[in-house]
Amino acid sequence: MSNPKIEVLRGTLDLLILKAVSWAPTHGYAVAQWIERATNDVLRIEEGTLYPALHRLENRGWISAEWGRSENNQRAKFYSLTAKGRAQLRVEAMSWTRYSNAIFAALEAPPKPT
Amino acid sequence: MTRTPAWRRYLTFWRSPIPQDVDDELRFHVNMRVREYMARGMSEPEARRAVAERLGDVASAKSECVQLGHARARNARNAALLDALAGDLRYAIRGLRARPGFSASIVLTLGLGVGANATMFGIIDRLLFRTPAFLIAPERTGRLYVSRLTNGTDVADSHMGYKRFANLRTATHSFDVMAPFFAFKLPVGTGESTRQMDVGMTTADLWAMFFAKPAIGRFFDASADTPPNGEKVVVLSYAFWQTQFGGRNDVLGSPIDIGPDRYTVIGVAPAGFDAFARTPLVGIIPVAAAASAFAPNRSWHLTYSSQWLQEVFVRRKIGITPAAADADLTVALARSWESQRAEGRGLLRLPPLTIARPHAFAGPVLADRGPNESSEAKVATWLGGVALIVLLIACANVANLLLARAFTRRREIAVRLALGISRSRLLAQLMIESIVLAVVGTTAGIVLAQWAGMAVGAQLLTNVRLASALTDSRMLGYCALVAICTGLLTGLAPAMYARRTDITTALKTGGRDGTMRRSRVQLGLLFLQAALSVVLLVGAGLFLRSLANVKSLRLGYDADRLIWVHVDNRGVPLDSAQEVALRTTLLERVKTLPGVTAAARGLSIPFFQAHYTYLHVDGLDSLSKLGRFSLQVGTPELFQTMGTRIVRGRGFTSDDRNGSPRSMVVSVAMAKRIWPTEDPIGKCMHVSADTTPCFTIVGVAEDIHQTTFAEPALHYYVPFDQMEPNYNHGGLFVRTEGATAVQAERVRQELQRSMPGASYVTATPLSIIVGDKARSWKLGASLFTAFGGLALLIAAVGLYSVIAYGVTQRMHEMGVRVAMGARSPDLVRLVVGEGIRVVVPGVCLGVVVALAAGRRIAPLLFNVSPTDPRIVSAVIAVLLVTALVASLVPAARAARADPNDALRD
Repeated sequence: MSNPKIEVLRGTLDLLILKAVSWAPTHGYAVAQWIERATNDVLRIEEGTLYPALHRLENRGWISAEWGRSENNQRAKFYSLTAKGRAQLRVEAMSWTRYSNAIFAALEAPPKPT
Repeated sequence: MTRTPAWRRYLTFWRSPIPQDVDDELRFHVNMRVREYMARGMSEPEARRAVAERLGDVASAKSECVQLGHARARNARNAALLDALAGDLRYAIRGLRARPGFSASIVLTLGLGVGANATMFGIIDRLLFRTPAFLIAPERTGRLYVSRLTNGTDVADSHMGYKRFANLRTATHSFDVMAPFFAFKLPVGTGESTRQMDVGMTTADLWAMFFAKPAIGRFFDASADTPPNGEKVVVLSYAFWQTQFGGRNDVLGSPIDIGPDRYTVIGVAPAGFDAFARTPLVGIIPVAAAASAFAPNRSWHLTYSSQWLQEVFVRRKIGITPAAADADLTVALARSWESQRAEGRGLLRLPPLTIARPHAFAGPVLADRGPNESSEAKVATWLGGVALIVLLIACANVANLLLARAFTRRREIAVRLALGISRSRLLAQLMIESIVLAVVGTTAGIVLAQWAGMAVGAQLLTNVRLASALTDSRMLGYCALVAICTGLLTGLAPAMYARRTDITTALKTGGRDGTMRRSRVQLGLLFLQAALSVVLLVGAGLFLRSLANVKSLRLGYDADRLIWVHVDNRGVPLDSAQEVALRTTLLERVKTLPGVTAAARGLSIPFFQAHYTYLHVDGLDSLSKLGRFSLQVGTPELFQTMGTRIVRGRGFTSDDRNGSPRSMVVSVAMAKRIWPTEDPIGKCMHVSADTTPCFTIVGVAEDIHQTTFAEPALHYYVPFDQMEPNYNHGGLFVRTEGATAVQAERVRQELQRSMPGASYVTATPLSIIVGDKARSWKLGASLFTAFGGLALLIAAVGLYSVIAYGVTQRMHEMGVRVAMGARSPDLVRLVVGEGIRVVVPGVCLGVVVALAAGRRIAPLLFNVSPTDPRIVSAVIAVLLVTALVASLVPAARAARADPNDALRD
């Protein structure tokens, strides 16, 4: 873990969580693992903040929660995406792509003619 | 180490699961991570340390999660509650729609009760509670009264001259604002379209008492109200601007004729602004402009004896107590009083301070809250209580009906309880049902109140503008309150019943329970209804009797056939001879009109304008100690026209001219007062001055009621031709056949043609002038009767439905009775007896209450004792007959009971 990590912006964390739970009911630990792997371990999230974020999304009705048994038969809370959450994911993903494309374009732009 | 006390362990049982869940969720995460790290080769303590580092601030994360969890739980609970409520609402509406007759009778009963209440609330609110719109600080604003000892009693009057007002304004320091305000009927418009309408008069200070901003244009400023003449400018009311000028902006600067003068419109007040007036105004003009027209001698504001009177409104400065302000006023008044005494001479001189003990005070803004409360307001307050009683009776009825239904629904309720519905949910359902009924009933009531308010405004309280029930926020707020209260009140009894329902018995016996007794609550409600109905009907009887007494009172003239024609010069300058000539022309003209049977000139108008002057009899010291004697000046046909009978001697003839011996006619009451033992005919009286020749009494006329119904006036008559010229104005009395209202308009149109310039005549049926004075009895009689009748009807329906319901429930028992040998009359007697038994104690209580309350309304009645045995016995009879009829119908059904049905069951 010697390579420097980037702090995750708050709004981005919501987007990542929505994506993480979009395939199947997923518990918090799995969400953390997925983010780690999916971002090639570049992003650093303080895992303590993951849970309030999950609960906030639940209160907004974007994800729903249910208690169940994990792979190793432990009691765990599973989150899954609601219809409302799926729509939100689509919107946020789209705006994020446009945003990053714009930044890329700016960085790649030719120098200002003198 | 401290030991956890044993009781703490029990806390976990009550602890909400939310923090626990959060703990569990995070613990799972930690455990998984630790396993993962250990799998990579860390020791457990190392792994735990690393995981903790990765988690960061766990405590705050946990507390945040717990908070979020609580919020979620709360929302879920609310949503569930809302859902249940919507379900109950649907259920209630479905249930009510399934029984349209039952629902309609409840809605109608409540509607009538609420309608009566809303109507009375509107009246009482207007008379006693609602402060004028836009008023800035109602709690510091007051109406000025001057009070003095007159014949041993303190008499307060809010009317004062301009000089008094000016004195008080300069000599006091407790007030921010002191402004006169007075509304007066003046002719508005020109020619044919001239109408008498209310016009407000004030000074520019008035605007500072209100938040109001002109809708267009401006309000007048202090330069417009400087005495003696002021400026002829007017601020129109919004309503008048809309109706007469179509709300056009170019109204500013246009002329409008008000009274004798032409005014210029300078602005329009905002919608709903009537200053301190209770009736809609045409507009507001400077007091100086109005007063200078009335008292054109340019000194109306300089003398205390000026005829100009107004009311004054004040606003206390912040921090000044009412007592301090009143003391301040009284000191200022004393100074003003002394200077008035210095001005007055002879009879007009005020009594000294030590005798009159005058004091001034700021009373409530609303006249009816002050010392001179009108009888209308007193009657309205009583009627407000009556309306509440009607509502209580209606509630009792509805509660009874709902209770009866709760009995029939016992089985349904028991089944639902057995199926596991919680009692609180059941209660909520029953409550919601009655609230739905109350809301629908209230809506019906508001519609009724709107209609009733219009009727009352048009027929009974023509001098007050009432708020519309449909749009006024105070009215709607009151109705909402009533709806909630009635909903809870009517829902209470059935809900209490449902709470006690015993599942097993109810399921066993089902809807048929031969031994079931009506609950004590039901009988209590019927008892109360009967008592309240008696009270209301006695009240109705007393007011009806009063009104009848007033109507049958011999007034001393035929008010129903008379028209009063008022002549207004409106600035057309006429000298005394011309004034007489004009009236003579009018008199000759009116006599030729078809339908006119007689006409005469007269000075005083009954119940409108009485004249008093100096009167002296040689040999009698002080006539004024015997009473106030009112003067009528008339032409010879006056007695014949008025319908006033000459009891002794003669009336006037055309021989009673200027120059011939002066003659006079006195009323019976006056003759008795001055000469209790002697014959008045031939006596001689000086009128208005000692120096002129005296008038010889030639006749005695029957008594007339001039200012009050309570006692006849001390009245005397002299011929116009023999009176000084300054009495030679007045108007015309016209006696007609047929509808007086129609005749009045015809007379007005005909006479208007003879009027020079802008001068005009008005013609008013005397019955309207007199009728206005009987308003409080009319109000009491009509509304007490309406409410009393309503209460009786509701009580009768209530009695009927309870008895009928009881009979239905006991048809089985009746059948058994028939089988045992009871005959139809026995059954009828059984049922009817039961109805009467419930009503009789109620009637007794009602009579006791009515007699006790009667003493308190005695001052509002006219020539009728509040304990009049005829009225009380009539009411008792009405109640008993009603009870009889209400129970005979179900009794007839009981009589038809078939023993076979009983045996078959």
